[in-house]
Amino acid sequence: MIVRVEDRVPGRPLLELRHVSKRFVLHKDYQQGVQETFVRLFDPRRRQSRGQDFWSLQDISLRVEPGECLGIIGPNGSGKSTLLKIITGILEPTSGDLATNGRISPLLELGAGFHGDLTGRENIYLNGCILGLNRKEMARRAESIIDFAELGEFIDIPVKHYSSGMYVRLGFAVAIHTDPDLLLVDEVLAVGDATFQHKCMDSIQKFRAQGGTLILVSHDLGTIQSICHQAMWLDHGCVRDFGSPTDVVMSYLNEVARGEQENAGAQPLPTIEGANRWGTGKVQITGVEICDGASRPCSTFVDGGTMEIHVKYRANERIEDPIFGLGFHHQNGTHICGPNTKFARLYIPFVSGEGKVVYRIPSLPLLEGTYLISAAVVNRDDTEMFDYHDRAYKFRVYPGVSSERFGLVTMRGEWAFEPGADAQFAQQPGKSRAAGAAVAADRQISKSRRPY
Amino acid sequence: MLTNVRALLRRRELIYHLVVRELKARYKNSLLGVLWSLLNPLGMMVVFTIVFTIQGSGSQIARFPVYLLIGIVTWNFHNSAVMSGAGSFVLSGSLVKKVYFPREILPISTVLSNLVNFLLALIVFFPIMALFHGKLSPWLWTLPAVILTQTCFILGLAFIFSTLNVFYRDVVMVLDVGMLAWFFLSPIFYSVDSLPSVYNLFGVSLDVHRLMYILNPVASFMSMYRDILYYGGSFGLDFFLRTAFISLATLVFGYWLLTRASGSFGEQL
Repeated sequence: MIVRVEDRVPGRPLLELRHVSKRFVLHKDYQQGVQETFVRLFDPRRRQSRGQDFWSLQDISLRVEPGECLGIIGPNGSGKSTLLKIITGILEPTSGDLATNGRISPLLELGAGFHGDLTGRENIYLNGCILGLNRKEMARRAESIIDFAELGEFIDIPVKHYSSGMYVRLGFAVAIHTDPDLLLVDEVLAVGDATFQHKCMDSIQKFRAQGGTLILVSHDLGTIQSICHQAMWLDHGCVRDFGSPTDVVMSYLNEVARGEQENAGAQPLPTIEGANRWGTGKVQITGVEICDGASRPCSTFVDGGTMEIHVKYRANERIEDPIFGLGFHHQNGTHICGPNTKFARLYIPFVSGEGKVVYRIPSLPLLEGTYLISAAVVNRDDTEMFDYHDRAYKFRVYPGVSSERFGLVTMRGEWAFEPGADAQFAQQPGKSRAAGAAVAADRQISKSRRPY
Repeated sequence: MLTNVRALLRRRELIYHLVVRELKARYKNSLLGVLWSLLNPLGMMVVFTIVFTIQGSGSQIARFPVYLLIGIVTWNFHNSAVMSGAGSFVLSGSLVKKVYFPREILPISTVLSNLVNFLLALIVFFPIMALFHGKLSPWLWTLPAVILTQTCFILGLAFIFSTLNVFYRDVVMVLDVGMLAWFFLSPIFYSVDSLPSVYNLFGVSLDVHRLMYILNPVASFMSMYRDILYYGGSFGLDFFLRTAFISLATLVFGYWLLTRASGSFGEQL
């Protein structure tokens, strides 16, 4: 059963899906003409020839309360957009119940519903009307929409003369200004120039901070983690994982990495032999494993997470006092650091036969990016290279504990604020109104920054 | 169905906007703009008058241009509203696939924009009638009832054909021919009285005169418009009620069909 209430009833969830499934019938030739239907009337096997079933969504249950923010992740074709279309009403579920409570504004396709022959201003009213606002409500918002879209005098010419950027800006401006009870965002922020993307992101953040409810579909996992309360991982139309964004993103990334490794495993590893490897071979590095804190092999990490690097070796003869070392490089070639056992004053008396050296990083200081590891073993005086694997091992880092961006590493530094004498009075609480406001504003910021 | 109607009424402002959009788009980039709503039937009237006066059948009907104009205006409304209504979902497919709103709004606004055109064309009618010394009927106030009934009938057809057209694009092709046949089957440039009341078709005798009114609501509408505007009298109440019943039945059936099927428009288009 499908229930849609446009005027929001307080105290009820904004959106509730129960066991929603969606089936598409794939026709070999999509267009089903009268001729084909006529032929099928006389075809005894007509039931079988109807084309193939494809379940785009299977048994999805979901509840979104006011003020919540849900992120949906998943590979292409996993049913994310189908789910959003079912929520907006463009598609109808094949089975299951759906209840919406309040006005839903979709940012699925910006500027859908614009008419080329009408001017920007006329289209603002038309589009607002399609999204469910009346003329008076739109008139109040028109000026701020025009401001936001940065259209200036272009607002009174037909939109068919607009550049694609102007078109999209106007579309976003209208959608975000309709103050929906539930805002659906589907990967639309990948359009427009960088400045406008930031502006879009800012207004979505603001919408969130003001208590707005949001469903966000994105491949930008960092955004999902920084904005959403909860995340859902869709895979082939099923919910694979649901919960806190960091957990869901991590298990999603592990799956992605596993898939990549399986694909890579089909080919021989070219990096170990040839140009990327040299040395006398008296001690050989037989394998380098990048692991998580529980010593399980892993190739994706969050900053602040635990990382272990297991270097396996085989010594063909007894070698006294060798030094094992690692090199960390960013994908772009920047050498970040090169720890080794000598710097760390780990004395290895000798090696013979097989064994393992472990380098443990309790809290990874690297920021988002792809990194490469080199591994080497040399003699005591660094004069004879036994084996060297140059940038042969790869791992990825995603945003995690640290909210830092820019650059490669986080220094884990601490900030302090020491105002001069002029500002001293504002520091004393309760003395002035300004102080109270400042504290409230501060609290607001810390609230909106918190991932949960 | 009632909840659907309520949802539709909430969106009446959207209908208004779409009608305005359609009218604006129609006359953009044309010099005479809205005047074409008036000039088009006048032009057709002139052409038909010349052709049928020379051919001979025109001279049998008094004040032939006025008689013709009523037929043409009525037919134009019927034809263009049904045709553009039938194509409304396919034409606005991108909108249907991207945004949700009660789907019936699209054919409704197309039909209503054609209604506006029809009303404008009716304005032309009165000076023409004055030119031919016709008299105004005291029953002129019943005209809106006929217009409303015809609009209901057209809306019903637009609902039916636009829905079918989503699933089978052939509908518009069939309609093209069908509307041409309908044009000749409606008493636009001839009088129903000139039709034989007994006609033998494969041995069955048919009352073509009666059948025309029973089977063709467009003929009924034309007859009612002419009763008021051409003959200056009134139409029979029973005649009106029967036509109104057919129109309402068409409307209700069309609306039922559309709301039943509209759920799958998003994936069919």
